[in-house]
Amino acid sequence: MSDQILPIVDIDLQLSGQAPEEIMAYALSKFKNIAISFSGAEDVVLIDMAHKISPEKVQIFSLDTGRLHPETYRFFEKVRDHYSVKIDIVFPDTMALNNLVREKGLFSFYKDDHKECCGIRKIGPLRRKLLTLDAWITGQRRDQSPGTRSAIPVIQDDMAFSRPQEKLVKFNPLANWTSQQVWAYIRQNNLPYNELHDKGFVSIGCEPCTRPTGPGQHEREGRWWWEEATAKECGLHEVNTKK
Amino acid sequence: MKITFVKKIQLDGNFCKKCREVQDKINAADQNQFIDQVIIADERDPSSPGMVLAALYSADRAPFFIVEKEGRSPEVYTVYFKFVKEVLGQKITEEDQLKEILNDNPDLDFL
Repeated sequence: MSDQILPIVDIDLQLSGQAPEEIMAYALSKFKNIAISFSGAEDVVLIDMAHKISPEKVQIFSLDTGRLHPETYRFFEKVRDHYSVKIDIVFPDTMALNNLVREKGLFSFYKDDHKECCGIRKIGPLRRKLLTLDAWITGQRRDQSPGTRSAIPVIQDDMAFSRPQEKLVKFNPLANWTSQQVWAYIRQNNLPYNELHDKGFVSIGCEPCTRPTGPGQHEREGRWWWEEATAKECGLHEVNTKK
Repeated sequence: MKITFVKKIQLDGNFCKKCREVQDKINAADQNQFIDQVIIADERDPSSPGMVLAALYSADRAPFFIVEKEGRSPEVYTVYFKFVKEVLGQKITEEDQLKEILNDNPDLDFL
């Protein structure tokens, strides 16, 4: 952990008016044990920004659920080569996954909902990884899902994944950017990108749970489309903590 | 050690869904004995004690627990099962923990 005690809400107010590159620079300057969570999609811009700021400090991890598209695996390799970086690939717990598949098969998410599968394939491994870090960086943006991400701050105290008695800080440098701004950055800087984007995929996740979206459709409509919209947005009401 | 349990009352006057669920779990597990005080965050009143505590500790969801130990900074827990495991020292399943985290953070499945 950084030796500085972070007044998170105040820093968020200060950083929220800054460019993603400045937020990234702040994050990298404050924490040594910090890593970027790379999903294999347009969040490649985070890697590019971090690489330009401090190439020797870039730590990256990705969650391999075992169900990603071949294009995404190829993209991980492309990014590794392009930036000459190591990507720490994190896998699900074998026993938990084995139990799920044995009991419910390989496509239980179509019958129940995606949460049990996501819990085992993503959240468990993510938690395991985050227990080793002091801070992490995501590509989450407010425009990705108005229902669940409209209040995403650029920096937050991650109370869900912190180690006992310790702080875990989460940075969302792209929180205030739109999809258009992200893609403008990708094109202007000639970044590599996942070939699925050329096939109509906006939001990229696991192969069985992701589909291309058409013009005018929100990117969220490309994920878990068999579940009702209300179920997808069932997050709890949040306390208004604005000072 | 002092444990404060903060529950939220919504605009419609009811406790939030998760507050009810967590209270049921606390009752079922006979954990009320460990809680020193219950404070209400009333969405209809931003100056209610619970809303003030939420702002003070940057707690972005309800319910939450504030754990104060002598000589240490207060710890805030927004994940009930994390609180049970780390503060009450009780055994819980990995499945329950992951389910709660994902239910509270539906955006995480986009990672």
